[in-house]
Amino acid sequence: MKRISVDHLARVEGNGGISATIDGNTVTEVKFTIYEGPRLIEKLTVGRTPEEDVSMSPRICAICSISHRNAVIRAMENALSVKVPPKVTLLRELMHMGEMIESHSLHVYYLALPDYVGFPNAIAMASKYKLEVEIALEMKNFGNHIMKVIGGRYIHGENPVIGGFGKFPTQEELGWIKSRAIQFMPFVFKTVNLFCELDYPDCPEDETVYACCDPGDGKYGFWGDEILLSTGEKFFRDDYKELTNEFVVSHSYAKRSRYNGKPYSVGALARVNVIGERLKKESGKMYKKYFDKRWKRNPLFHNAAQALEILYSFERIPELVDEILQYREDIPIVKYRKKEGKGTGLVEAPRGLLIHHHEIREGLVHQVDIVTPTAQNAEDIERYCFIAAQKLLDEGKEDQIRDRMELVVRAFDPCISCSAHLAEVKKAPSDDWKNKINEIMKGGSPIFIGIGNPDRSDDGVGIQLALELKKCGSVDVLLESEIENDENLWVDETDRPLLFMDAVDFREKAGKVTLLPMNNVLNNIALSHKFLPIVSGLMTYRQLKNAYMLGIQPESIDNGHEISTPVRKAMNDVLTILSNLNSSGELNEF
Amino acid sequence: MNNNKPKIGIYELTGCAGDALLILDCENELLDIFQAADIQSFLMAKSDNIDGDLDVALVEGSVTTEREIEELKDIRNRAKIVVAIGLCATVGGLQGRFTDSEEWGENLKKVYGDVEMTHTKAVQSKPIDAYINVDFYLPGCPIGKEQFLNFFTRLVGGSPPEKYPHPVCVSCKYNENDCLLNRGLPCLGPLTADGCGSVCINHNLPCVGCWGPVEGANLTSAFYLLKDKGFDVEYIKKVMANYSGTKITTFFDQLKKEKQ
Repeated sequence: MKRISVDHLARVEGNGGISATIDGNTVTEVKFTIYEGPRLIEKLTVGRTPEEDVSMSPRICAICSISHRNAVIRAMENALSVKVPPKVTLLRELMHMGEMIESHSLHVYYLALPDYVGFPNAIAMASKYKLEVEIALEMKNFGNHIMKVIGGRYIHGENPVIGGFGKFPTQEELGWIKSRAIQFMPFVFKTVNLFCELDYPDCPEDETVYACCDPGDGKYGFWGDEILLSTGEKFFRDDYKELTNEFVVSHSYAKRSRYNGKPYSVGALARVNVIGERLKKESGKMYKKYFDKRWKRNPLFHNAAQALEILYSFERIPELVDEILQYREDIPIVKYRKKEGKGTGLVEAPRGLLIHHHEIREGLVHQVDIVTPTAQNAEDIERYCFIAAQKLLDEGKEDQIRDRMELVVRAFDPCISCSAHLAEVKKAPSDDWKNKINEIMKGGSPIFIGIGNPDRSDDGVGIQLALELKKCGSVDVLLESEIENDENLWVDETDRPLLFMDAVDFREKAGKVTLLPMNNVLNNIALSHKFLPIVSGLMTYRQLKNAYMLGIQPESIDNGHEISTPVRKAMNDVLTILSNLNSSGELNEF
Repeated sequence: MNNNKPKIGIYELTGCAGDALLILDCENELLDIFQAADIQSFLMAKSDNIDGDLDVALVEGSVTTEREIEELKDIRNRAKIVVAIGLCATVGGLQGRFTDSEEWGENLKKVYGDVEMTHTKAVQSKPIDAYINVDFYLPGCPIGKEQFLNFFTRLVGGSPPEKYPHPVCVSCKYNENDCLLNRGLPCLGPLTADGCGSVCINHNLPCVGCWGPVEGANLTSAFYLLKDKGFDVEYIKKVMANYSGTKITTFFDQLKKEKQ
């Protein structure tokens, strides 16, 4: 198997879209596509000095520029053993609060809320919620102001550097930030009430794994040296790859991540789920008041979690300012001598865990690895959209799929612009499976695997198909009973597509053929199948991404050995197509 | 909708979206902006976008995929005036640094492996004027609020925007900063277009050059100045290239010529 490099470059503000393809009663495909091109940021800073890298790599993202700045600085300081005094750390935290407030308030009020109160955008919403819209804008402005005072600019401020700051804010500036934060409190409480009491739809709901930084000392916060999962597992910062396992998919220049082969979520909801119990004071009270088990299964509660974090940030600001003011002296930038080292910096960007790993050799950057939150969320975004689309389709609410998918994508807050537009529902033609086989062929000629129980009438169709294919002279055909110990498949990890054939109940007319990625079969509760645990346990994730199910709607799966007429007809159709594959792997003709 | 208002579209290609975000960050002026012009398309801010004829198109980001080349050409066809906003659109951005196509190809492979992209093909990052005619440039990483508002006001008022033909040093002198070059720091102020108000030097930090090269900068002199200060030639070349995108090649060609 070829190994995909885990170096990556991923960012997604800008052009992105989500689409679902529906074939009859089944959602066959959900794709979260990023149209932005590659920037190769991780390679751009190779050969540069650590200082240049600190200036350049945060340019990945404007909205999370402070998070990137803090992450790269933490990585560099770990690599070069730079210890900064408490005043510097506290100011960095204050700056981070500015970004949280700016990003969260923009997201909850301007991007998310219009959906729930029935307006197309925030400006239209102002007709009914003028006060909210105006104060939310001021709140965002306040967050920006903090970033400017400490970072030097709203976006891509250059003031925070390895070892400290070029210039420290004055006592007056800090005092103003504190008093302004206190003035906002009544509106902040309103924000929490509003977003925790919104009527979030109960679809999609499903379990997932949540991941965030552990700030240590039993505290809530936005950075740490360990990653903590909702399963209780922990990784030290340098072992982040145990969690992220990045890989590339063909429909996006943003890389993807899975943990133990499963999608996981990061972001405000992940933080509240994993370490929310540590919230104290007013945010702790609000957590106790509103948090319940739905937050653990429903991504739409991201908005509620963000509101809770706005409160946490506003509560933390006066504390931070008081602590900073204890240190009167401005400290010169801490110098370092070290010219070699590797370091990882973990921070929580507003939209989730952000990892920077930088390696320095002979005083210059040798290697960079950056894992962004949206890259980690992409798989769960697709999965939850799939669940929502299939459930709405089952309930006969197909017209709601588009809006619901947008709602889900937006809840993950995957950077502003891609969350604001472009959801699409596509109808597949009835013989869509034929086109799909053509597409699969592009990835190599498939290995066919027949599944089913020949003692239960139509359920034997998969096995029957496989046997017929063998008769036609195809060599790459296997039966259910043969696959478990097949070394070519699992030990050598073949990278050819795997095409499973079986009777599957799609609640369609008997004989309807549907082809869908195996991943979607696993996510679709209605289609879950007894052999799947075996297969999903054997397959690597890369294989799973290249495996498909060709399902035929059975008429009956009662005891018996007869295959019904419509299913037999479908089987013959499939057989004609599949046995016409010529040696070069192309389809001769339909 | 008032038809006399200039029709404006704001577009994002590949970049950090910082320039569009900065326009949103003009909190106090935002409503005025939306009132003074008929904003037809602004993906970051609104969802009811129209792709029709425009008076002005503001384009952020560099061109990095075939899809973006088509998109950009379409924007040019629809707009009377096209403005490149931000470092990525004006010089190709940080990602425009791989000016050698082989080097770019190798690095693309290192990052994405052999996966063939189905949605759109990547191309080497270039500024938008590599593909279309650009009427005005508004540099910056990200663009400056003041500079943007001045620019925008003149544009919607029907006047040509004022150029900022001077380097960062001009603002720096107004701000009465000590020259960091005199302190032996690698400051790129003399080479860099102004508009930030010398923000880095105001914070005792050397200019990193993020506004891109200023027209008519005396590159040779700056190069030898940094060399005299004891900086390594390779380092000087790199630091000059960081925020100069594809335009660095003209920079170095000039240097070679003057050397001969």
